[in-house]
Order: sequence, then structure tokens, then C-alpha cells
Amino acid sequence: MAPETAAAPSASARFAELALGRRELSIAVVAIALYVYFLNTVVDFASTANLQTLGTFIAATAIVAAGQVFLMISGEIDLSVGQVFALTAFVLYFLTDAGVPIMLAVVIALISAALIGLFNGVVTTVIGVSSFITTLGTFFLLNGLTLTISDGRPVDTPGGETFTNVFGGGAYSGILWAIGLVLALQLVLMRTRWGLHTFAVGGNLLGSREAGIRVRWVKVRNFMLASTLAGFAGILEAVRITSTDPLAGGSGIMFQAIAAAVIGGTLLAGGSGTVIGAFIGACVLGILRDGFTLQGVSAFTFDLILGGAILVAMAVDIYVTRFRHRGGRGGAI
Amino acid sequence: MTDRDGTPEAHSRLQISRRAALAGGGAALVAALAACGKSSDDAEGEEGQGAGNFPQTPKYRFVFVNHVTTNPFFVPTQYGAEDASALLKTDFQWTGSEKADVAEMVNAMNTAITGNVDGIAIAITDQKAFNGPTEKALEAGIPVVSYNADAPGNARLAYIGQDLFLSGVEMGKRIVQLVPEGKVALFIATPGSLNIQPRIDGAIKAIKDSGRPIEYDTIATGAELNEELSRVDAYHIGNKDVKGLFAVDAGSTQSVAQVIQKYKLRDEGVKGGGYDTLPKTLELLQDDQIDFTIDQQPYLQGFYPVVQLYITKISGGLTGTGEMNTGLKFVTKDDAGTYMANPSRFEGSSEDQKVIRSGA
Repeated sequence: MAPETAAAPSASARFAELALGRRELSIAVVAIALYVYFLNTVVDFASTANLQTLGTFIAATAIVAAGQVFLMISGEIDLSVGQVFALTAFVLYFLTDAGVPIMLAVVIALISAALIGLFNGVVTTVIGVSSFITTLGTFFLLNGLTLTISDGRPVDTPGGETFTNVFGGGAYSGILWAIGLVLALQLVLMRTRWGLHTFAVGGNLLGSREAGIRVRWVKVRNFMLASTLAGFAGILEAVRITSTDPLAGGSGIMFQAIAAAVIGGTLLAGGSGTVIGAFIGACVLGILRDGFTLQGVSAFTFDLILGGAILVAMAVDIYVTRFRHRGGRGGAI
Repeated sequence: MTDRDGTPEAHSRLQISRRAALAGGGAALVAALAACGKSSDDAEGEEGQGAGNFPQTPKYRFVFVNHVTTNPFFVPTQYGAEDASALLKTDFQWTGSEKADVAEMVNAMNTAITGNVDGIAIAITDQKAFNGPTEKALEAGIPVVSYNADAPGNARLAYIGQDLFLSGVEMGKRIVQLVPEGKVALFIATPGSLNIQPRIDGAIKAIKDSGRPIEYDTIATGAELNEELSRVDAYHIGNKDVKGLFAVDAGSTQSVAQVIQKYKLRDEGVKGGGYDTLPKTLELLQDDQIDFTIDQQPYLQGFYPVVQLYITKISGGLTGTGEMNTGLKFVTKDDAGTYMANPSRFEGSSEDQKVIRSGA
């Protein structure tokens, strides 16, 4: 046991080590800097009401990104998540419309989302179509399916008061779901065989296969996870805005989720990434969108500023990371 | 993911400079953001002189939540809001979704409410999604009016825009005049959207009510102009017996005119028409490729919300809002020239402020 006087600096050294040693914590620095910036420049940014709004900017993206992270680590990608997002909410609507109790309807809707993931996974791993193409196909297919079954019309989201409050309608419900799922999935990724195999398959496919990992099953499972989470996020959002819209989600949420994952340190090439990192990535995007809207930036300049801010934020992130490496810290990003 | 090598000595040696790196990175980010944020500085409230006869007020900020913020149709709407803002010494923000994503619009509206803006104008493109936010805004004392699209049951104080169903009925009557019998196509960009679906419903009602032997197909064309053109083109190729091509949104209308021109369908007596005054639509209307287009005066949909919100604000809600039908203006070959010869802020075809003499 070291004496207390010596323990203090070593504790802070350990914190600094932790802060810079982990990839996702350098993007956390960027997120905090952004938060502080808006806190100091926009009066209402600190209000409770805005905290709730900020949560709605982040929640759905973070949940979809969590599934995408598993898939991206194992070397695949799912472009159809935004369409699963819209379709699952409609499945829920049609089931409750047919008299199925709502909780059972949620479960069946999520199972149907998982089945879409199963389809994506089987086409990719068994037939051998690249996941980019497979899910590009289901991207259009599912969009058409949603438009057809809905006649292109939005409908009222079903559910009583308690259901609504728990599944996205309550003030912090969406963001709490997001945080809970992110923590749980981070544990799965770091502490279970599923997580370990996911890294192994993405890092070295041949080696994993020779080591006896059922690589196809690992990937299929990740496709199913990504679809299920996208479906769940779709339900949360449909409940929150009280309307189930066939154009909800789409390519917008898909790009945001992939962006959040990549900003949070997940490699597009596979083999590396964390769910927490993607969550922080979603926070960065959410803070930028919320903050600039509060500042009164209009639509035309908004994309200009958002794009610039993402580039600056990522450049700062790289700068911090590079410094860490120069300081003698090797290792993968 | 693990970077846990390196000796303890190395850690403490690097500790201070690493902190400096963090601080440096953060400072660079904040500086860059401050530079980015400058463009919105003028949105900050500053004391106004009091416009015209009106009392001195803080510089009110009104927010327009739109479903397709970057669509060219709404350029004149933004000019209208800009001109009214200059007149009344107020500010406005143009925000929402680029592709009719309702959740994104709800987020934008909620952000406006938490930002304590002075008034909100919202295009209500969903039957229910905006009811909650509208009530929340009104409870917070923020007046809300709808423009361009509206839904029954929303608590907004007034609607400023076209009476969509009625305009559809009028268009349907015009279709019956032009094509008394046979097959017609009705094109719609995104079925179910509250800003266009009522028009097609109205047109169908008028066609049915006429009792004429008219067959109609309703065809979805998609939200992007290139896609819309291809869909209309494809429909024509598969349906050569069609007697009339009509559309209920700007992009589809332009596409109808282009397809009629491409296949010289006027020679076969095919009729055409639709909505809005995109430059290409007007050009082809003047060239007699279609029979009419309906102008819903988007400039006014930006101008009057600002005026109504302003008066509501200064009167403490005693007065200010009222329903406003921005119109049902059939533009034909004869009027198209006036539009073409006078690019203006009213049509979004020119940024310049100028006086246009009637008939010129």
C-alpha cells in the first residue's frame, strides 16, 4: 500500500492514462468541449427542457449505432437499418390493429425485425453476396414493403399512457433506453464469447475459422442484433412523435448511425470498435444539431456549419490521438 | 483497442503535456466553433426601434419549421418571411427536415420551444405528430400558426396556405372539362403527405361527382425531380392510351410537361396540367405543352405568418391570427408570359427587389 501523499498523483496519472489510452475517451473530450461551448454561448442550452430535447436528438441514433457497431466490428455493414426502423413500427401498428395485446405485439414486431436481420445475414454469409449489396437490396425492398402496406400514409401510433411513457413518450424514456442498451451491449462485447468472436471474425476471418469459430453464425447473429435494435429504435420514435410514418428513419438515420459509430472509433474495415464510443459519437452529432438549431442557424447554412463542425471535431480528435501515440503509446486506434 | 503498454515513468513524464494536448484540442475546437457560429449572431435579440407605427419591442425571433427545407418551392416563402421580417424588424429562422422526416421536424419544433422563441410557423405534414408540440408551445406562451399544410385537430391559431382539398376539387373539374372521357393519370410525389394528398383526393372526388366515364390511375412518383421525371416517362411508355396527364405537386407537374414535350403528345391531343410555377413548368406552359398550372402563392405563405405572429405578440394575443387561403390561381398559356418576363422574389426566380407593372 502506498502512502496517501504518493497515491494522489498516481491516481490522477492513472486517470490521464485512462483518458488518453482509450480511443473513445478522446472523442469524449470533443463531446464535452462542444457541450461546454454551447453551454456558454446559448442561454437555453442548459435548461431542463433542452436536456430532454437533446436526449431525443441522440437516443435513436445511439441505439441503431449500437447494433451497427457489432456488425461493423465483424466486418459487415447494414444499410437497411433505416427501413427496418420504419417497417417495425408499422408491424406493431397492424398487430395491435388486429387485436394483439400491445406488449406481445412489440415482441412479435421485434422478432420480425430480427428475421429481416436473419435474411440479410443468410444472404450475405451463405450465398456470399457482400453485405453492402445485400442490405442495399433490402433497403429498397423494405421501403417498398412499408409504403405498400401503409398505402404511404402515416397512422396513429398505438398504445395506452403507460406504454407510451415507457416506450419513448416519457421525457427521458428514449435516452434511458439508449443508455441502458449501450451499457448492456458494451458488456456483451467486452465480456462474452459472442463479443470476443465478433472481434476475432472481423480482425482475422481465416484465422477465426481455423480456430473453430462458427464465423457465419457470429455474423448472422450480429445482423439480427442490428435489425432488432433498429426496429426497437423505430418503435420508440414512432411512440414519441405519436405518429407512425412510412418515411421515418430511412437513409438519414442509417448514415447518422454509421457516422456515430465511425466518429466513436469503430473501423469501417472491421476488427475494432466500441458501443460506448458510438454512443459518444451520437452525442457529438446530437449536440451539434441541437446546439446549432437553438442558435438560430437556418437550414441552408446549417449543413455548411454542421459539416464543418464534424470535420473540425474529428481533426481535433485525430490531433489528440496522434499526440497520444507520439507519447510512446502504440496500439490500435 | 488496448493501449496499455508503456512504463509508469513514461506515464508521469507525459502526463502534463497530455493535459496540454487535451486543453489545446478543446480550445481549437471552441475557437473554430465560435467562427462557425458567427453567421447566426444576427439572430440574437437586440432592441428594435419599433417598426412603423408600432411600439418598441425586443427583436422578436420567429421560427419556420419546414418539411423540405432545401426544396426550391419554398425559396419564395423564405423571401416572403424575409421581407415581412425587414418590415417589422424581426428575425426568422428556417429549419426542419430536408426530406419530410416528421421526427426531425418535431425535434426542430421542440428545440424552438426550449429556445423560447417568440413564435412558430409550422407546415403540419402529419395528422397527429405536431399536436403535442403545438400545445406545449401555446402553454409556454409561444403563438403557433400553420402554413402550407394543415391538419384538423391541431391547436394552431390559424392556417395560412392553400385550401388543399378545394383546390383539388377545382382541378378535378378542370380535368373533366379537358378530358370528358377516357383514361387520365394523376401523379403524386409522396402519397399520404398532408400537403398534397388532399389535392388528389379532391380531384378524384370531382371526377367521380361528374359522372363522366373517366378512368383514372394514381401514380406515386417519389420525392426527387430526376426520379419523378423517370416515373412519369415510364408510365407513359406503358400506357399509350392515356388522354390526360395531371399532377398535384411541383416536381411531378414539371415532369408531366417534359414528358408531353418529349413524346410530342400534344399532337395526339393529350391534355396536361398540375401545380406550382417551377421555371420549367412555366416555360412549357407558355409553349402550350400543358393546359394549366395552379399557383398557390408560396411568397404569401412566408409573409403572412410573420405578420400574424408579430401582431399576436404585440397585442398579447388579443388579435393577430386568422385563416388565410393563399389561393387557387389557375395560370394558363396567356399568363405564363407575365411570370416568365418578370423574374421576382414572389416566384423565387430572382432575389432582386423591384416593382412589377401589371400586364407587363
